[in-house]
Amino acid sequence: MSMRSREWPVALALGPVLVLVLAPFVWLIVSSLKSEEEIGRADPFEWPAKLMWQNYLDAWRIGGFGELVGNSFLNVAGVVMLMLVTCAPAGYALAKIPFRGREWMFYALIFGMTIPIQAIVIPLYQVLSAVGLINSLTGIVLAQVSNGIPFGIFLMRSFFSNVPDELVEAARMDGASHLQILTKIFLPISAPAVMALVIISALSTWNDFFLPLIVLISPQVQTIPLGLVRFAGTYASEYRLVFSGTVISFLPVILLYILTQRRFTEGLTQGAIKG
Amino acid sequence: MRVQALENIAGGAAETSPPRKWGLLPASHANAGTAFWLMAPVIAVYGTFTLVPIAVTFLLSFTNSAGFNTAADFVGVENYRKAMQDPIVWQALWQTVIWLIYHVVLAGGLGLALALAIARLRRSQVFFRTAFFLPHLVSLAVVGVIWANIYDPFFGLLNTALVEIGLGSWTQGWLSDPSLVLFSVNVASSWQGFGLYMLLFIAGLQDIDPALYDAAEVDGANGWQKLIHVTLPGLREVMTFVMSLAMINGLKGFATVFVMTNGGPFYQSELITTYIYRLAFQSQQHGLAAVLCILLSLFAITITVAFNRWRARMAR
Amino acid sequence: MNIIAKALATTVFLAGSAGVHAETLRMWGPEQITEPLIAELWNGIKADFEAANPGVVVEFIPPTGTISNGAVQAALQSDVGPDVVLTNSGIGRITVVKNAKQIIPLTVYYESRGWKDKIYPWLYDELKGQYGGEIYEVPDGLDALGIWYHKDMFAEHDWNIPATWKEFVVLMKAIQDKGIQPLAVGPRTPGSAGHLFGNLLQSASGTLNVGKALRGELAWDDPAIAVGAVRLRELVDAGLIKKEMAGLDLDGASRLWFNKRAAMFVAGPWFTANARKAGYDLNNAGYLPMPSDISGEAKPTGGVGWSWLIPTNSKQPELALKWIDFMLSDGIMKKRAQHAASTMLYPRELKDIQPSTPVLKEIFAAAVTGVGYNPSVYLPADVVDTYFQVIQGLISAQVSGGDGMKQIQSKMAVVR
Repeated sequence: MSMRSREWPVALALGPVLVLVLAPFVWLIVSSLKSEEEIGRADPFEWPAKLMWQNYLDAWRIGGFGELVGNSFLNVAGVVMLMLVTCAPAGYALAKIPFRGREWMFYALIFGMTIPIQAIVIPLYQVLSAVGLINSLTGIVLAQVSNGIPFGIFLMRSFFSNVPDELVEAARMDGASHLQILTKIFLPISAPAVMALVIISALSTWNDFFLPLIVLISPQVQTIPLGLVRFAGTYASEYRLVFSGTVISFLPVILLYILTQRRFTEGLTQGAIKG
Repeated sequence: MRVQALENIAGGAAETSPPRKWGLLPASHANAGTAFWLMAPVIAVYGTFTLVPIAVTFLLSFTNSAGFNTAADFVGVENYRKAMQDPIVWQALWQTVIWLIYHVVLAGGLGLALALAIARLRRSQVFFRTAFFLPHLVSLAVVGVIWANIYDPFFGLLNTALVEIGLGSWTQGWLSDPSLVLFSVNVASSWQGFGLYMLLFIAGLQDIDPALYDAAEVDGANGWQKLIHVTLPGLREVMTFVMSLAMINGLKGFATVFVMTNGGPFYQSELITTYIYRLAFQSQQHGLAAVLCILLSLFAITITVAFNRWRARMAR
Repeated sequence: MNIIAKALATTVFLAGSAGVHAETLRMWGPEQITEPLIAELWNGIKADFEAANPGVVVEFIPPTGTISNGAVQAALQSDVGPDVVLTNSGIGRITVVKNAKQIIPLTVYYESRGWKDKIYPWLYDELKGQYGGEIYEVPDGLDALGIWYHKDMFAEHDWNIPATWKEFVVLMKAIQDKGIQPLAVGPRTPGSAGHLFGNLLQSASGTLNVGKALRGELAWDDPAIAVGAVRLRELVDAGLIKKEMAGLDLDGASRLWFNKRAAMFVAGPWFTANARKAGYDLNNAGYLPMPSDISGEAKPTGGVGWSWLIPTNSKQPELALKWIDFMLSDGIMKKRAQHAASTMLYPRELKDIQPSTPVLKEIFAAAVTGVGYNPSVYLPADVVDTYFQVIQGLISAQVSGGDGMKQIQSKMAVVR
């Protein structure tokens, strides 16, 4: 095909762009293998005298990463599940069930998207404190889900909007309830959108620093971003640990992405049903 | 079907969606009941953990609260007056707008450019897609640390590379020069952000009916003309969606600025969000910080609505 | 509050915890316990305390932040916070947590437990004067900021840190002529900006005037104190401090110094930790206060750096008090002062101790006659943000000395 023969020039032309986009990564990884002194010398073109794989072991051990990783996974799992439970039904209702106040409901959600989290963090803390959920993974999950609901509903609603109303009408005439329609018809075909929601929620939760800083106090419940900050002091930081810790925290995410990236892209298409 | 789908996404943002077949699904009490139960989890969580704090913030804007456990007296619109009179607020607002524009242009533009470049690739597409999405997986705070190092005027990758390839005169104080700092930080933030937009554009490009390209070829159109007359119009809906998303993300920009410059030097990279943070956490002026939150929110809504109106007008 | 009321309050506070038998003392801090040397020191201290108090376990909570970024307040407000806190202090920061009623006053213990005899008398007086007699912190480490220079570089070029400011500027020009940067600064880290600036204010105006300005008795745009800002701007305009440094943080600036691309750097005793990390030979480090044209005013600036606080909702107030007694004891102070990880000035005079690094000896010697004020530590929270931004503005040559000081003054006027 004429397209295939034209692929190599394009790929080649993208080479420099690839280099520019990935250069910071390379710098990070190389730096994570340097000794603290070499990092101090800060020569970006200097290759480490000895590859300090030890940094990774130290970051894991000193930073207590075993516990942190476990907490981060629990955090993500909780958020993803709760996001699905809240956003899928709500997205369906907003897309397919005409009811009074529907537009207002939607606006209230969009409104939430525009508020930066710094704005409401102290009242949020007080709400969590009032229900006794400070310093708990449950508390942080609820806060993060609440923060993510606007976008999640946006996504699900858009996807569901594309499903023809006739499908719903036909099912209703067959006597199905909306819940049955949602679970038996819509969800099975919405794998791409669900996948997109899962990945975006997982990603932002995994990297979330600000909410956990305020909500998770004890080291036993803290997540990875808080672990990284322990390597930093007021005047001096242990950069070899910061860098290697950062790379450690990347790996699960990259893995997740590589495994799911095709479905993820499909989901973003807000793919319509074929035919 | 797909094009209409994207139209629905774009139109959903803070404006009534295009006319729908209301008649097919009549509103009824039974519907309202079901809808309520389906919405219940969202209402419970969102109501408690977002709407209530927003309401409290709104109330706080009328007090002189200094944070936890402090006496907060009602001061009416005093904080609003102070905010209006504070030159830094206006500077931050202006810089937030500039930041927004940079974000849309840099992150959105890069996303579009790369999407156009790789959408038609077959064998290497997955590789490029994954590689270009990698920056998006990094948390913004870490992005700040990495790029602050890259921008270091004496040791950073950027300046030393420029010297290395003989462009020593191009070296700058990327984070110290008042005219460059906002741009430099935005490049870092856009480096992280463009990945998602790129994927959205790729999805949109793959939706364009190949028959349209064939028809254009038959008409004798060259590559550039195909771009202008087939691709870009076909991407209109996705572009709207990406722009809405980019604008919201731009307005919420915080982490990279906070880590790289903390609003400096001398307020040259101050955004409303960083100013809010420092007012609340460092100066303990929570009432004033609350005012700025309201301000930011109203601003965001205005921009989104205005944008959607403009787009709707363009569509006619 | 009169003595009786205070005593009653204390009794109630202690009685409330008397029945608790869970013997874990949770301590917020120390910073960087992730560093092996520091971990070694503190685990040793912990072991000693546990040995002296059988049945007690000390647990360190690695800090996720300071008072300036809200992490401490979030911890103190929760029910699972620490029982005793070691964090960056200074009146500006302490005021924040005091106003939020998150820490208890410790005034009565200074008397009853003899703490007031365990710190420098001038320090005690200063603390007493901050909140009308009430004291909320126990200083753990003081800062003494001055000029760090390379002994070998100075010897090679036959340079000396002079006694007066005028000669100092001449020295800086000579250094610049040799292609070396005279002075490095990292204003992106707010503290670092304040270190240099505090030194300049001290050198230009003297301790008395700086003190008055901090108390609001002298306007910041008064020429008597504004001259320090004007001088900074002059240094920048003459290229003796490069404008590009406005984008550097403390690490970036210290990198210049460690790599000998800069001759001098204003820092405190904690800089030994940075030097160790960078592999810099600390025997080569010299320290002298910034010169001044006013006789007797060439002193390091400083103030309280880190302090102990006891949270209002501490679950182990008795143990916390014992811990503070322990930290103030001769044995522990000597142990810390002589350890390689020692990075600060102690809150009382320690005779006969040999600091592990020679430069620390020089710092202690310089500080013995008293230190000037580091305004970053003394300014109210509302003002300190503007203060740091103005310094950045001076270094990036965006604002003049006079205008910058006017901005600081306008914030001070509101507060005082």
